[in-house]
Amino acid sequence: MELIPILSTIILVATISTFLLAIGAYVLYKVREQKGQAASVLQPSEIKAELVTPAVSATSKVEKERIIPQPIYAEPQPVPAYQRQPIILEQEQMPTQHTKFTPKPQPYSAYRTTFATPVEQQRSRQGQSYQSMSSEENQFRDSKFLKYTTEGYVPAKEDKDAGALKWR
Amino acid sequence: MELNQEIKKSTIILNNIEEQEKVENKERKYLRRIFFSGIISLLLILVIIYTLPMTVLNVSSLFEYAIIVALVIFLFILLFRYFAILVMAYLYINQYTYTAPAGGFYPFVSILVPVYNEEKVVSQSIKSLLEINYPNYEIIIINDGSTDKTKEVAEKLVGYQKGKLSEVKVSLINKPNGGKSKALNAGIALSKAEIVLCMDGDSQLSPDSVRLAVRHFVNPEIGAVAGNVKVMNRGKLFTDLQALEYIEGLNMARSAQSFVRLVNIIPGPIGLFRKKAVEEAGYYSSDTFAEDADLTLKILANGWKIYYEPNSISYTEAPAKLQQLLKQRYRWTRGILQSIRKHKKLMINPSINLGDTFVLWTMFYEALIWPAMNIAANLFFIVAALVFGFSSLIFFWWAGLALLDLVTALYCVAVEKEEFRLVGYSLIYRMFFILIIDICKAMSTIEEFLGIKMSWGKLERLGTTKS
Repeated sequence: MELIPILSTIILVATISTFLLAIGAYVLYKVREQKGQAASVLQPSEIKAELVTPAVSATSKVEKERIIPQPIYAEPQPVPAYQRQPIILEQEQMPTQHTKFTPKPQPYSAYRTTFATPVEQQRSRQGQSYQSMSSEENQFRDSKFLKYTTEGYVPAKEDKDAGALKWR
Repeated sequence: MELNQEIKKSTIILNNIEEQEKVENKERKYLRRIFFSGIISLLLILVIIYTLPMTVLNVSSLFEYAIIVALVIFLFILLFRYFAILVMAYLYINQYTYTAPAGGFYPFVSILVPVYNEEKVVSQSIKSLLEINYPNYEIIIINDGSTDKTKEVAEKLVGYQKGKLSEVKVSLINKPNGGKSKALNAGIALSKAEIVLCMDGDSQLSPDSVRLAVRHFVNPEIGAVAGNVKVMNRGKLFTDLQALEYIEGLNMARSAQSFVRLVNIIPGPIGLFRKKAVEEAGYYSSDTFAEDADLTLKILANGWKIYYEPNSISYTEAPAKLQQLLKQRYRWTRGILQSIRKHKKLMINPSINLGDTFVLWTMFYEALIWPAMNIAANLFFIVAALVFGFSSLIFFWWAGLALLDLVTALYCVAVEKEEFRLVGYSLIYRMFFILIIDICKAMSTIEEFLGIKMSWGKLERLGTTKS
């Protein structure tokens, strides 16, 4: 006997059975639901509820301390496409004297819009603040070009003054 | 978990007012609806009778011709739907893999756990929430007037519990029964967080669920993030079929919708919302039975974007019995139809919000047209086999659909790194499981159309946990 007629018969019987099963189960469900039908009650405009919270204790102090060093969300400003990503800075790492930042004390949940250059991002990741930077570091930050020497990266200006090499 | 900590009880007043539908004479409305449907059907029959002598075919040939044309259209739509969803889901997964934002954004999150008669599972749910890899969150349990020992069990959990990365404050709101939407509204109103996570009392979140979902809120346009729901209690025929349905039917569609940032339903077991977006949308409403769909539509209507995070997983207990499954689907279908009807202005007028119009038409198609087409096609093949003797047609129909489902299931199982054994269920998925669901949908649609009253009901929970 061929396989297709057998499979066809099986599928036909299964489909008809599924139909009957679905309709039967649905009717049964409706019958059961009818028994448990309750009338709807008008809701008041205000309801009283009980709020259960942990009692104020030493643990709440722990929570406060935990909340302070929250990350601050820095909204991306119009910058070139390669830099266009939100920057997260830790609160204690926020520069205080930089012209582009005006930090104010605020609750942990208020996420401020700030701008940070890639160098600043790098610094924030390394856990350094601008306040703690030396004048040498500031010069390093302000330099446009860096040159790699045996002593690491040095500002290109310094290298130029040495007179070792002049570009024309 | 440290139980029975020192607690403080206080009374709060919750606003219970919500937007109400315009009061009208419902009986007259439904009678009018039935009358107009009857008139349209009668007109259609008259047109057919009038034009029949003009055609070259006889009645039975015309009937066959019409059915064949309908089937070809159905097949075309079916294939188009499948491939459109598959392609968009694929593009989304590619986009997600390469452009998903990195971590480092940890705003304060309130996890809202509404519970109603969940004494068996509430402890386990909270325990799983304390295992989350997120440093800055609190848990608010909302006891929606439970009649069992949920209140006592939940009160024991209140306190500062030791989380995985930090101490987690667990609070409880005991309020009179008012439904899930009102329970969540109470939690949102109490929350001081910028982002709230709404879940079900019986669901369990994966450890990275919050961290991975929250990072999308870095984009200020994102109003909500939908998580990935997976079936927890597998091993039975219906739960395994639902596990396949969740990954093949729901998650794949959600991935496709997320490609255009227009996820149409944020699932109840895991949904993260920007509190501002919820406030703008007017919180959850209890005038529909699909409060998730309703809130999602309202958020989209306000111009917010909604994203889907596939790795933010919530495990939920699926109905294991057919009766329970029908109960759930009946509520979903009628709820979605109520939401569509509530937002029909957006559906008709694309100038208000084009995205919402698109979403509503998709929902309308999935809730009404698709089940009707599937049932009609199956009935046609049964009639063709029994009356005309074309029994092999039903086999080829099944083989075609099963092949399509098999390929889709393989793709989805591979993408979600799911159990491979679920692929086997794709052979009976369309002809057995989806047919039952579609018949339930069709019946629910008729009842909704006739305005038959319905109640929320509650699914029986067995207290299954994810180990």
